[in-house]
Amino acid sequence: MKSIHLGKSKSALEKSINYHLRCSLCKAPSSKESRDLYLSTAFSLRDRMTERILQTERRYHETKTKRVYYLSLEFLIGRLLSNSLHNLGMFDVFKDLLMDGDIDIEEVREQENDPGLGNGGLGRLAACFLDSMATLDIAGFGYGIHYEYGLFKQEIDNGYQREKPDNWLAELNPWEIKRTDEKCIVPVYGRIEHFQDRAGEYNPMWLDWKVIMGIPFDIPVVGYGGETVNWLRLYGAGSSKDFDIQIFNEGDYFKAVEQKVSSETITKMLYPLDTIKSGRELRLLQEYFLVACSIRDIVRRYLEINENFDHFSDQVAIQMNDTHPSLAVAELMRLLVDEYALPWNHAWQITQETLAYTNHTILSEALEKWSVQLLERVVPRHLQIIYEINHRFLGEVRRRYPGDTDLLRRVSLIEESENKQVRMAHLAVVGSHCVNGVSALHTEILKKDNFADFHALWPERFVNITNGITQRRWLLEANPRLASLIGDTIGDAWITDLGHLRLLEPSADEAGFKEAFRRIKRANKEMLAKIIYETVWTAVDPDAMFDIHVKRIHEYKRQLLKIMEVVYEYLRIRRGEKQPTVAKTYVFAGKAAPGYWVAQQMIKLIHNVGQVINQDKALRDALKVVFLPDYRVSLAEKIIPAADLSEQISMAGTEASGTGNMKFMLNGALTVGTLDGANVEILEEVGEENIFIFGLKAEEVADMIKNNAYHPAEYYRRFREVRMVMDAFRDDTFCASEPGLFQWLYHHVMNNEDPYFHLPDFLPYLQIQDKIEREYQDTSSWTRKAILNVARSGKFSSDRAISEYMRLIWNKTP
Amino acid sequence: MQLQQRHTGSVLVVKPLEKRIDASTAMDLKQKMNEWIDAGNRRIVLNLSQVDFIDSSGLGAIISGLKKIGNDGDLVICMVKETVMSLFRLTRMDRVFDIFTSEEAALAALSQKG
Repeated sequence: MKSIHLGKSKSALEKSINYHLRCSLCKAPSSKESRDLYLSTAFSLRDRMTERILQTERRYHETKTKRVYYLSLEFLIGRLLSNSLHNLGMFDVFKDLLMDGDIDIEEVREQENDPGLGNGGLGRLAACFLDSMATLDIAGFGYGIHYEYGLFKQEIDNGYQREKPDNWLAELNPWEIKRTDEKCIVPVYGRIEHFQDRAGEYNPMWLDWKVIMGIPFDIPVVGYGGETVNWLRLYGAGSSKDFDIQIFNEGDYFKAVEQKVSSETITKMLYPLDTIKSGRELRLLQEYFLVACSIRDIVRRYLEINENFDHFSDQVAIQMNDTHPSLAVAELMRLLVDEYALPWNHAWQITQETLAYTNHTILSEALEKWSVQLLERVVPRHLQIIYEINHRFLGEVRRRYPGDTDLLRRVSLIEESENKQVRMAHLAVVGSHCVNGVSALHTEILKKDNFADFHALWPERFVNITNGITQRRWLLEANPRLASLIGDTIGDAWITDLGHLRLLEPSADEAGFKEAFRRIKRANKEMLAKIIYETVWTAVDPDAMFDIHVKRIHEYKRQLLKIMEVVYEYLRIRRGEKQPTVAKTYVFAGKAAPGYWVAQQMIKLIHNVGQVINQDKALRDALKVVFLPDYRVSLAEKIIPAADLSEQISMAGTEASGTGNMKFMLNGALTVGTLDGANVEILEEVGEENIFIFGLKAEEVADMIKNNAYHPAEYYRRFREVRMVMDAFRDDTFCASEPGLFQWLYHHVMNNEDPYFHLPDFLPYLQIQDKIEREYQDTSSWTRKAILNVARSGKFSSDRAISEYMRLIWNKTP
Repeated sequence: MQLQQRHTGSVLVVKPLEKRIDASTAMDLKQKMNEWIDAGNRRIVLNLSQVDFIDSSGLGAIISGLKKIGNDGDLVICMVKETVMSLFRLTRMDRVFDIFTSEEAALAALSQKG
């Protein structure tokens, strides 16, 4: 029986699939419907994974392995079918099986939903980390939210973004297991009753709370090789079932349903970034809900094999992915002090030793703050605890820096203003034994700027761990041709040790390998060209240079700089100032937050520029501009392997790390970028001759801001290139049928409202693009550089990042 | 609200027979407590052996009983199931009440107090 259902052979898998066709889907085993095949295969794989979850758990349990819990409001896991097949070592078996039935694997893969449980890099990083932890045989688990609606689906209407709900759960999700037996109670709202305990000591009591149920949904996470299977636990909110019945019994049907709906609302939708303004109560509830469910679950697991908390931080590490789960500090304290009656100091020591915080942004508007008033209403006991933490913390600061009241004001967890606010980043820093930035540059900026005071207090607490990506998804799965070529050339060790790609370096000078590499890139570009045609009905030439800017739409990421360069290129050719020597296809994709007007307008601008350029017969297809709607993991897997040029052009000092840059590099695209985020380290790894770096450095930007030295009008007056582009935005070149549509952009930039320094970097960007064009024409040299990019991308594996987390944070004793 | 009550000496022992004490029954419990105390009962044992869940309004009713009885009496609790005990801990009510594992232990403790 076991060999039938859990084996990895072709016949075992076939029997499993047939079993699930019949017994899970009520379909005839002869069904060749792609959807049936996808679901029955997914169930078959889940059988194998759940069996191994139990084995893995047993191993961890017996050895009392330290467990790492990764708390994140977002897990952008992507599709799981191919990833699971690869990691279980069953991909080829499955492919064979489909070939026997003359079925295309792509058709089956396309049946799977691509869950949008994240906005971008932060959520995808969390998913890559889970893959790496399982592959490295680390007892690492994710805790997140089971959003009913993921990030919105993006549609385009006349160049404008339209947001559609992503009801990913409307269809059967074969991967998850609902664990109602492990649901938990989450108290929320209420008030504090100031009372005395039996000994006459002050005893605050949290009363009048409401109850929300946390219902876990587990998704298996299989490591490469299939030996270790961890899980991602996503919590959905529900009302207390019994409570509903009580109200039903009273005959108040509507009240019961209303309460059910109100409880479930908490996990109804993922908030798009840039729309989370403080004051959004539902978002705060989500953050608290995740923290309350996961900390309770973590403690429960620990107490299954321990009698007290003496070894908690030896056996448990909790990583807070950004400040979103930073209420974990207060919740763990509350649990230890209130529910388990630990003395404050002991509980505080455990909390600090257990928790660690990853910062993901230096943009001040993205650093979370919640109003005291709101916290008092939603989590009154936690606010009390935060005040107590602050009181003790400021006492420590006062002792070390007597009389420095300005320092106290700066580091306080509470921002004293008319509307008092809790600084969640400060709470996370104070409550953690370790704080990390996500690239070397970002960490330095944190230490010198955002967290300078904290760094002075506790320099040993700050470390850098540059982000990484899993090569299992971003090369093995996304670019099977290249993965196969690499495997044939240097073997498959790179799949679990990306540093092995260095062995490819000699191949960068071998004509045969270069030719094979070029053919693969060409094939990937053909595939993308097909997708582009089928999606937006624009024909693009696979022989053109594919110049790609895909990521969330945000001013700091500077889609505008790219489109300015496209406009300049177009105008030069159009006016006969330049003969096109390299055909170029510019590909954009990315979602703009609803309500973020500038970002939404950027999408419209890209479309309008594309419309003019793509229809201009005089260009003879020298330039094409396309915007692919609904950027998501599965689309990224198609776009990235087809890129020649990777655009990573954020204003220096704004992008914490970036991980798209790493994915492109791994797939043999050359990077054009500023010295921002992990670009700095990509430069170090790949060498300056194999990357195109331009623009202001972070400290130069900081100096210009400090000295108020940026005057857009001056650039306009001095540089014709700037005038050409800015005037084109002003004079309706790209909006003949909608006059005046882009005039705002001219004024936006010229009237000193350009905080992301497009004009100072514009000319250097044009110059580097000229250089890129020249170099691209030397196909052999370009291919060599592309191969070297692949060969030198080893550092950017999430396996490396996770190993560093283990060494520097999770196994560190403060 | 269904409950059993009996006197053992001067101690009133009360056992709610509901599985849940929540918004629908908490007011009833609160009112009954007031009546017992107003009737001169100064030592009360609340036996929660039948109760699986108490929501915050139920906990509030018990607290109001304690407040009403004040310093010249005792309200103790016994036979609390783990699910209910976790809610006592959550609110820190476990530190306010004397909680006993059996009715006999509760009665013995109250008799010692004279």
